[in-house]
Amino acid sequence: MATRKRFPAEFVERYSRFIPDFDDFTQAMAAPLPRTVRVNTLKATREKALDWLSDLEPEPLPWWELAFKVSDEGSIGKRLEHFLGLVYVQDAASMVPALVLGPKPGERVLDLAAAPGSKTTQMAAMMDNSGLLVANDFSRTRVRGLVGNVDRAGCLNVAICRMDGIRLGRAVEGTFDRVLVDAPCTCEGTIRRSGEALGRWSVAASERFGRLQKGLIVAGFRALKPGGRMVYSTCTIAPEENEEVVAYLLARYSDAETCEIELEGFSMRQALAEWKGVWFPEAVASCRRILPQDNDTEAFFLACISKKEQAC
Amino acid sequence: MLSQVRDICHRFGISESVFKGLVDIQLQDTVFVATEDVMSFDLVRPMRRGLRFCRMFPRSVKPTTFAMQVLGRSATRNCIDVDNQTARQLVNGSQVEIDAGPDVENGFVLIRCQGFVLGTGLYKRPLLKSQIPKYRPVEE
Repeated sequence: MATRKRFPAEFVERYSRFIPDFDDFTQAMAAPLPRTVRVNTLKATREKALDWLSDLEPEPLPWWELAFKVSDEGSIGKRLEHFLGLVYVQDAASMVPALVLGPKPGERVLDLAAAPGSKTTQMAAMMDNSGLLVANDFSRTRVRGLVGNVDRAGCLNVAICRMDGIRLGRAVEGTFDRVLVDAPCTCEGTIRRSGEALGRWSVAASERFGRLQKGLIVAGFRALKPGGRMVYSTCTIAPEENEEVVAYLLARYSDAETCEIELEGFSMRQALAEWKGVWFPEAVASCRRILPQDNDTEAFFLACISKKEQAC
Repeated sequence: MLSQVRDICHRFGISESVFKGLVDIQLQDTVFVATEDVMSFDLVRPMRRGLRFCRMFPRSVKPTTFAMQVLGRSATRNCIDVDNQTARQLVNGSQVEIDAGPDVENGFVLIRCQGFVLGTGLYKRPLLKSQIPKYRPVEE
């Protein structure tokens, strides 16, 4: 119960409604985040990267052979293997959206809100540096970080754009095999990494972001080819930025359908069926919530959406 | 293949087969390398395609650190292997004295550590000067 006091009363009142083990949740949110890294296979094999990391006692995560928990000593960013791009520091939950999207070598993939590039570089490696990966972000300063990370990871299959995501979605309609919309959000799920998100927390902010996210999910869906697949993700808990956004897309596009999400060895919970008395379409139940107490990660939300093939 | 790219491949003994499926283009004083799909994408105008491969200066062409890290792995000539401690010094911008052996020519060289290309250096026997861009300092 004591950890509840670290959160605003409204936050507790709001989220204890649908997180049944809410005390476990607040305890996990108050605990330090384990440090995790991903091996960048564009630069090194798993074995070579592990050699470099050996003094940090890398511990494999059970759900992906390239993800490791490492000890907290020193800054990884100041190590040679980081400079060489052999490893990328990334929270475990943040590796899941790209795994669910599953881009393949030679495909055309869009990362609509890409900066700082953790998922872009992950997908570039999953595509084996082939095909086309368009990494877009609107913010000039964030794009600078994206360029740096794409360089360090050695990505030859990435085109970087700095455009309004909604405009980009219109310009590339029906082009991509896969689209990732890792939408800008209130970042409630990152509270255990930095208290910043909690400092500016408000329901109004979630409602504001919800409007932007609805535009972005539609833009991402428009960019998909028929038969293509999109993942919508956020690192936040608010239903206004998650289930409501997916429901908005499903209500407007009859060719949008949700897909089941599973990752062996990684616990995820079902999305909400109802929020504030409004019931979501049944298809929203396929979306998943990642809660910090389940896998010792940040909190995340995931939806996997496919665009139906056109009838002949 | 652009002549600047061919010259760099020749200097470091990088096989041209490394560039299979890749396209190089020159924009002002910089050559970029990317996949064919990236280079032919024209529905919008990206601000950047692939990796910067090299930059042209009035009297030299400098291969970039990040392109060499990924495309210079098969280099067979003008490479200098250093230990971890020296690698850290070079990443932090220092210059070191090194006996690179008779096969290494003065001029641009690739600096390698444990088989990985760190970046480029300028070798003027016996001094190896780091050409690796200022990054966050690595712990020495």
